[in-house]
Amino acid sequence: MEKYEKLEKVGEGTYGKVYKAKDKISGQLVALKKTRLEMDEEGIPPTALREVSLLQMLSQSLYVVRLLSVEHVDSSQKSATNNPSPDSASAVNTSNNKSNLYLVFEYLDTDLKKFIDSHRKGPNPRPLAPTLIQSFLYQLCKGVAHCHSHGVLHRDLKPQNLLLDKEKGILKIADLGLGRAFTVPLKSYTHEIVTLWYRAPEVLLGSTHYSTAVDMWSVGCIFAEMVRRQALFPGDSEFQQLLHIFRLLGTPAEKQWPGVTSLRDWHVYPIWEPQNLARAVPTLCPDGVDLLSSMLKYNPADRISAKAAMDHPYFDSLDKSQY
Amino acid sequence: MEFDLENPFTSLEEHQSDTVLDLFASESDHMPSQNFIQCLKITDFYVSFRQKAVSLILQAQFSCNFEPFVLYLAITYLDRFISRQEIQQGKPWVLRLTVVSCISLAAKVKNTNFSLSNFQREEGLIFDAQTIHRMELLILDVLNWRMRSITPFSFLCFFISLFEPKDPPLTQALKNRATDIVFRAHNEIKLLEFKPSVIAASAVLLSSHELFPLQFASFKTSILSCEHVNQENLLKCFDRMQEMVEMEGYESMLDTLWSSRTPLSVLDYQCTKSESEKTTSSSITTDAVTAEKREIKRRKMNGFCCESKFQLSRIQHC
Repeated sequence: MEKYEKLEKVGEGTYGKVYKAKDKISGQLVALKKTRLEMDEEGIPPTALREVSLLQMLSQSLYVVRLLSVEHVDSSQKSATNNPSPDSASAVNTSNNKSNLYLVFEYLDTDLKKFIDSHRKGPNPRPLAPTLIQSFLYQLCKGVAHCHSHGVLHRDLKPQNLLLDKEKGILKIADLGLGRAFTVPLKSYTHEIVTLWYRAPEVLLGSTHYSTAVDMWSVGCIFAEMVRRQALFPGDSEFQQLLHIFRLLGTPAEKQWPGVTSLRDWHVYPIWEPQNLARAVPTLCPDGVDLLSSMLKYNPADRISAKAAMDHPYFDSLDKSQY
Repeated sequence: MEFDLENPFTSLEEHQSDTVLDLFASESDHMPSQNFIQCLKITDFYVSFRQKAVSLILQAQFSCNFEPFVLYLAITYLDRFISRQEIQQGKPWVLRLTVVSCISLAAKVKNTNFSLSNFQREEGLIFDAQTIHRMELLILDVLNWRMRSITPFSFLCFFISLFEPKDPPLTQALKNRATDIVFRAHNEIKLLEFKPSVIAASAVLLSSHELFPLQFASFKTSILSCEHVNQENLLKCFDRMQEMVEMEGYESMLDTLWSSRTPLSVLDYQCTKSESEKTTSSSITTDAVTAEKREIKRRKMNGFCCESKFQLSRIQHC
């Protein structure tokens, strides 16, 4: 890790601290994501091994933040990069090591949340250009399709996790975290509440079987937010989050979503009629509204997939050859 | 996130065509470095290091009862590691430590139980856990944590899908034979320079040559016209692979008791082992004894004799 000079802490990811740092030799800016690694008598845990190599594979897409390298730092020894020998190792007798894994990612200086904020407030508030929204959404779908085709769900897509290269107009998915294999994170390391605004209704209702559709719900919420410059469903508790959704899309019933009332956290809710979705996104073209509504289908089985979304008429006017 | 060598991306039906493209695009990241392949041609040290290491890895099949894919994966790590990291000469423990650590990593990636202590006892190794864990980290570092290897197995289905007629029993036979050839091809240093997709295409082609000679010509045409495969390399690889299989045919004729298996085939060991286990619940039958004798003979033929272990396993069976 001596290779990098830490510049500042830029965030507290769900699984650990994130630093902006500089490669001392090349001057390249990087994002260092620090993750604790519990080394037991088995050495490096198999789950960590499998997940990091999965990240390594996913980061080959242009629309996923590139993982440049992985550095292991052992707190009891200096580093693992010296050739081990039986003599030197036998002197160290610790069976339980605390060590850290640094994931070194390419650094991008802005994200979609900051970008939307800068269009809402500040010196020059203005809507995002419709062609830009179209381009960002296409790249997002492409990145999500890439993850899904590798059997990976993101599960925490939100504007903060979408990094932007403003000059090139490229959007990249970040924070494909570790430990996602089994649970959706509820609290971060610092016990800050993870945002619920982009969470799919089946997750909020305690469904234990998620599919790729949970990410497509988030994509829909992000799409609407780019158009509105404010969140579509800004709930502050799981219950409030559901009510926000129900007020706009109507309270779901068995008819359009078979099985909904048997989900673990289903309660009796006020009955709302669905509103006209176009009114929530008044500047969006009809094709865009149609795509949005297929991303916000209640029944996960009816929700559009990332790959199908890329073929939706909304993108007909986009030059897809450049992506 | 389970890892399946035949299907490294655990993809959904809908994405199948994209994944194949991804596989072709990134397979080179999962190969030994080209410098190393040059080096193998000129340095005896690396040739013999690799041979010894591969033999030691394949022995693990026998002592730890691994499924062959785990060991295949371990050999891919070994090749990539020694191609990127200078190996100190004159230190025999480096070889053994590298082998143990590659197997341990492969077992973790495949989520297979691996008892280090059993393996070390069987192989007469005495590294402490700490040393092995540090070696694992060194290997991970050199391999840049790309452990979900793209192997020839990942391409078999793609190439088999080009075969006509699409009759499941035929394509299954093709796949079984091609899988067998891919396993053997791993022991052949001359095949190390080829991309996983080229190995897979050659193995599938060779299988059809053996099993379905009538379809061979048209199958060859369709594989050669596949845009992702370099024709020249494919033909070169196919020839070398055919040589390899013919050589083995000759060797197996010498060893008449054994069908067409390669002497190093890990599958044989398992076969024999389970055979003897089945029959020895009460006493060792003559069958099992002869089977073990055969095995000893085979291992001697390979210059890989480890009598003590055989006795050990005999005792366990009693």
